[in-house]
Amino acid sequence: MEVKLKEKEKFEDETVISERPEVNLWKDAFRRMCKNKMAVLGAIIIMVLFIIAVFAPYIAPYHYAEGSLKDNFARPGSKFLLGADFMGRDLLSRIIYGTRISLSVGIVGAVTAFLIGVFYGVVSGYYGGKVDNIMMRIVDIMYGFPTLLLIILLMVLFKSTFAIATPGTFAGFLNNIDRAFGGLFFIFIGIGVTAWLGMARISRGMALSLREKEFIEAARATGNSNLQIMLKHVLPNLIGPCIVRVTLAIPGYITFEAFLSFIGLGVNPPTPSWGMMISEGYQAMRSYPHLAIYPGLALAITMLAFNFLGDGLRDALDPRMK
Amino acid sequence: MINFVIRRILWSIPVLLIISLVTFGLGHAIPGGPFDKEKPLPAEIIANLEAYYGLDDPLWKQYTDYLWNALHGDFGPSYSSRSRTVNDIISTHFPVSAQLGVLALIVAMVVGIPLGMISALKQNSFIDYFCMFLALLGVSVPAMTLGPLLIWFFALKLHILPVARWGTWQQAILPAVTLGIGSAALLARLTRASMLQVIREDYIRTARAKGVSEKNVTIHHALKNALIPVVTVIGPMFAALVTGSLIVEQIFAIPGCGKYFVTSITNRDYPVVLGIMLLYAVIIIAANLLVDITYSWIDPRIRYT
Amino acid sequence: MRKNILILILSLSLIMGFSLAAITAPVTLQWNLGTEPPTLDPALATDTTSVDVIEQLFLGLTDYDDETMEVVPELATSWECSEDGLVWAFHLRKDVKWTDGRPVTAHDIEYAVKRTLDPATASDYAYVLYIIKGAKEVNTGEIKDLNYIGVKAIDDYTIQFALNHPAGYFPCIAGMWVTRPVPRWTIEKYGDKWTEPENIVTNGPYLLTKWAHEDEIILEKNPDYFDADNVQIERVHCVMIVEASTAMAMYEEGKLDSVGVPLDDMDRVKADPVLSKELTIAPYLCTYYYGFNNSKPPMDNPLVRKAFSAAIDRKSLIDYVTKGEQVPATTFTCPGIFGHVPPEEGIGIGYDPEAARKYLADAGYPEGKGLPEITLMFNTSEGHRKIAQAIQQMWKEVLGVEVNLTNQEWKVYLKTLSEDAPQIFRLGWCADYPDANNWLYEVFHSTDSENRIKWHNAEFDRVVEEAARESDSAKRLELYKRAEQILCEEEAGIAPIYFYTIVNLTKPYLKRTFAPMGGEHFRDWRITK
Repeated sequence: MEVKLKEKEKFEDETVISERPEVNLWKDAFRRMCKNKMAVLGAIIIMVLFIIAVFAPYIAPYHYAEGSLKDNFARPGSKFLLGADFMGRDLLSRIIYGTRISLSVGIVGAVTAFLIGVFYGVVSGYYGGKVDNIMMRIVDIMYGFPTLLLIILLMVLFKSTFAIATPGTFAGFLNNIDRAFGGLFFIFIGIGVTAWLGMARISRGMALSLREKEFIEAARATGNSNLQIMLKHVLPNLIGPCIVRVTLAIPGYITFEAFLSFIGLGVNPPTPSWGMMISEGYQAMRSYPHLAIYPGLALAITMLAFNFLGDGLRDALDPRMK
Repeated sequence: MINFVIRRILWSIPVLLIISLVTFGLGHAIPGGPFDKEKPLPAEIIANLEAYYGLDDPLWKQYTDYLWNALHGDFGPSYSSRSRTVNDIISTHFPVSAQLGVLALIVAMVVGIPLGMISALKQNSFIDYFCMFLALLGVSVPAMTLGPLLIWFFALKLHILPVARWGTWQQAILPAVTLGIGSAALLARLTRASMLQVIREDYIRTARAKGVSEKNVTIHHALKNALIPVVTVIGPMFAALVTGSLIVEQIFAIPGCGKYFVTSITNRDYPVVLGIMLLYAVIIIAANLLVDITYSWIDPRIRYT
Repeated sequence: MRKNILILILSLSLIMGFSLAAITAPVTLQWNLGTEPPTLDPALATDTTSVDVIEQLFLGLTDYDDETMEVVPELATSWECSEDGLVWAFHLRKDVKWTDGRPVTAHDIEYAVKRTLDPATASDYAYVLYIIKGAKEVNTGEIKDLNYIGVKAIDDYTIQFALNHPAGYFPCIAGMWVTRPVPRWTIEKYGDKWTEPENIVTNGPYLLTKWAHEDEIILEKNPDYFDADNVQIERVHCVMIVEASTAMAMYEEGKLDSVGVPLDDMDRVKADPVLSKELTIAPYLCTYYYGFNNSKPPMDNPLVRKAFSAAIDRKSLIDYVTKGEQVPATTFTCPGIFGHVPPEEGIGIGYDPEAARKYLADAGYPEGKGLPEITLMFNTSEGHRKIAQAIQQMWKEVLGVEVNLTNQEWKVYLKTLSEDAPQIFRLGWCADYPDANNWLYEVFHSTDSENRIKWHNAEFDRVVEEAARESDSAKRLELYKRAEQILCEEEAGIAPIYFYTIVNLTKPYLKRTFAPMGGEHFRDWRITK
């Protein structure tokens, strides 16, 4: 009897306090977002980019790594719509394939930031006290690091120690993965190392205030385990703002890849990343502006799209957030 | 309040220690030493050099020696440029990075805040969209595209600004704009959001209802409050600008600290890497502390833990 | 009326003022060093930037003629060597002074040579002096006594060197920066900081008046330089612009008088009516090559190496990628060096797709079938990356072999090469002194050199050893020709790719020379505006 009663309570608690507004919130948010023309435009652009990335081999007129030296630096024209690079490789095809790189950098950055950051933050905020204190001290220390410098140092370390690692060892295994990704894997790790920090702080703050709320008290009183509460009650309530943050951070990850390429820590050739193309092309800005301008444009459009979408999400999901 | 500040400053000591330890460890973990050259030196010479710089000591001793000297204000020699110490390098190059950072911050504020205000006041008009589009464009164009474009247009087409180098105010304009434009965009968006929120607050409505002129409302009531969140980001923004000027320094041939970092890693010049890392960490910690102090000053309800 | 006079006087004085200013403004050369010179200490310099500045500040016993590459007197007026070729004596000018007024004497040279070889100095370039008796033993710490080194000031103006073996090229070494006289008293007083402008004491055609690190160096003409009358440029304003495209923009802006042309701007420069006239392409004594790890399969098979070498279309690479009118190379030692084999001799492996495919088939890998994974490694740089990608493509087209590209940052790269070099790797070599000994012996001798290609050929070793000891030039030429034949043709231990050039734009008002081994002679340059 007692058991039954508890279950009933729990059921009510979920439906009344957390789930119903949840459904409304998401529906409501979606409706609000659709009203925002810019956000819709951003979402459409991102969808198109994903389609391009997935179907790159069918869309691109040439393969990204093939070209003839005789066509080098060809200007935009009928053979090469956007011109060709120093090796006579079609720029348009490289930009199309490059969509894969930039999107995966953005998405992987966002996913790691989200998963690690939210988990860390929720645990820290929900438990509070000593746990929170220690976990947040770690975040504080990480915050003290000049992120850029730390990542440069890490990237040099990855690229060097793993590159000379003997095959068969763990380091050799990592290096093989990196090779298979065309040099992207270490960039993912580099971004992942610091990307979660901001997310952890925000979700911790929200979790900290949520744990004082009545419905959490109620859930606890009805005998839910801490894990259950975190997953069912705390997480759903802070996921919205976190999604907004992460969407707005994606452009940062994408430019970061470009930055790494610029200082020689980017992908391996002939992997076509926009960042690599820009840094190969900017030197030739005076002679062949198309080499840097078109990949730059692709980068700018992608970033604009994510920003539009992020702004839209923010207005829709969390109108109070700045 | 003072207790809080003191506690935070004390806390920054272990943070710096850990940062120095991690940097030291990472630096030494990278294969290759400072004296590996294309034409290798005889083993005896390398041994000699390592003895001279204390690199033959066990790592823990090297680290503690470094800390001890650093505590006395000596951040060690530079292996790659023998006539200078890390102190020399930082004291000549950091001021340049700092100047560049300040100028970029000014650009960001002068461009970003007005843009955001205008946007907010004309919310959902064409002007609003235009300003916000500009702002987004600012975040979206990477410095390595923007820099060469600005050089080409202003220096080689219009001949009104010099191409590169540092020293005169004309030379400072292009790099400061290249560096600051992204932050300007961020500030514009922040100002707009904060302004929109403030305009809807009760006291603004009350002020309007009392018959205060629109101009007065905007300037005296709305602006002041809307700028509070903006002010709080300026500290970290400055830290980010100072520590993130690497590309701009390289494109415009500015003798700042940023590009030193990458070359020092390449040269395995550990003391320089450590010195710059610690300096930047101090700036970042100070900026974060500043934010917390500003917050507490603005909103006394915030508790210090 | 009065007013008019006033205006007249004013304008006159203005004109006078301007013309006076024009007279007094020093003739200034605006020069890009490219980077901060890591050191201005002649014993420690290893890079062209440092050497370029040191050349202006410190005189050597000998110097090179930029046109003919011949050794000419500088500090020394004459020199002679003993019958057996083992003892050399140089006689010094008596009219050369340090900037603090002291005379430059043979003792300063003795001190400089000993200081370079002193292990405590840790000079990278000490090894070029190993030809001097006792130099190696002292430098490697075997013998502690500096006086053991075979260098001695006979009197104030005669310096004597004792060598390990005869070497006709010794006067070249005697003029290198590592043997240039340095002021002992200043070095002992200021230690590592003696090269800072407030401390430095020099003896060259220019004085170091300002060194703002990472920013600029200002050199002023030295009025006490012995040939000061023939130095026309009174001030050299050196800047340190790392970005080639930025330097190029500064040249077009008029802020630099001479600039290296960035690869990407070559086509534009050639097409531009003004810039194309200012373009000069001069030889530079360096060779770009791909080394094979001769002990790692499949590169332990000479036929595979030959196939890879023959599949490189060097001419297309130069025409489409490097664009600087570099010279396709089939041998290692570059033109301008004693021992260079002219292309007419037909030594080495040129581009020949048919032969390449045949070599590979003969090796047992028809159309590349059965080859293990092959990696081409280069040190991280935009230029190397482009060349590697182009050659990767050529191998794919000609041989049907897909080669992996990886790049490593310089120090790691060096470590990788010495520990576990990949099958193919990029390297370059530049002349320290213009003799093939510096190339074949000092780079590929199986035990006495770094031998990065891990290649052992008894005949090659014997030939280059013999050439080093031989004093007859004709015989030496023959020996070096044979060595090149073994290295680049029969064994294909390396694939030479091209000989470097300097691709330069110079304003029409500047008449300049080109120093093929670095160390530009600003004192000979002329500015006529």
